[in-house]
Amino acid sequence: MKKAKKIGLICSAGGHYTEMLQLWQAFEGYPKFLLTYQEVTTMDRVGTHYLENIFRSPIAFIIGVVKIFLILLKEKPHILFSTGSEIAAPAFYFGKFIFRTKLIYLECSAQVYRPSLTGKCVYPIADLFLVQWEPLLKRYGPKAKYVGGLI
Amino acid sequence: MIFVTVGNHYQGFDRLIKKADEIASRTSYDIVIQRGYSKYVSKNVKYFDFVPMNEAIEFIKMSELVISHAGIGTIILCKEYGIPLIIFPRRKEYEEHGTDHQVEIARAIEGRGDDHIYVVYDEEQLEAKIVEVLAGKQKPTPKANEGKASLIRTIRTFIENL
Repeated sequence: MKKAKKIGLICSAGGHYTEMLQLWQAFEGYPKFLLTYQEVTTMDRVGTHYLENIFRSPIAFIIGVVKIFLILLKEKPHILFSTGSEIAAPAFYFGKFIFRTKLIYLECSAQVYRPSLTGKCVYPIADLFLVQWEPLLKRYGPKAKYVGGLI
Repeated sequence: MIFVTVGNHYQGFDRLIKKADEIASRTSYDIVIQRGYSKYVSKNVKYFDFVPMNEAIEFIKMSELVISHAGIGTIILCKEYGIPLIIFPRRKEYEEHGTDHQVEIARAIEGRGDDHIYVVYDEEQLEAKIVEVLAGKQKPTPKANEGKASLIRTIRTFIENL
């Protein structure tokens, strides 16, 4: 029997969070956990790890990055998936170089022509990199794929 | 009911909240506002800063019309539930966002000609557009989201093959 692959789902609040919920079906049947920011809008899910927004202050950034590391250490995911934004960057680098996870990144549908900072940051290490607008393919390398968008 | 929502970007969007408040004094529709980090205090309208996602979805589902910034979450949900949406993008020059990418999103969607999404760039044209959309009797039907199905299939296949 194949070993169950555990999936870590990582996203910030707002549209990134809505995009994550839209894609939930892709992960059905797999053990998984969600890691997101603690906001009024995201507080309605059980079994979720919540962080303070890492851009709120330098202290929040350091604490946030340490917490992300500890959560990955505890959960031991095999795969990380993110819809952005910046919360994905530390998680993906820890995943790639320390926890040896596979990485799937979906660039937000807000990026029509220009790559996001997070997208550029994780593109080199992502195993599957998806964009949601065809014109954006030109701005990334051959690894980027367009198969459709949510909006 | 008309639901107005401006997302959770740290800069507020007072231009839209203020205009919605002004329009509320002249329309027979109830207007409910999720004002996010905006500062403007509405005089004619029921408003709150944020509600959890599942409550926001309930507001969207019971609305005849949603008006929002070019926010991805709202655009996705209006598509899913077949609710008419007027997009009014945030602008950099008014310090409503760090870049003008919301105008890019609005133009890209406008170019597609979806039957339930309208775009307004000038707040002075918002009221006329609201009247026009609400006068149109045909309610859009929720459509299958092919992009969503394709993304789910691609991601799932990738995971299965690992």
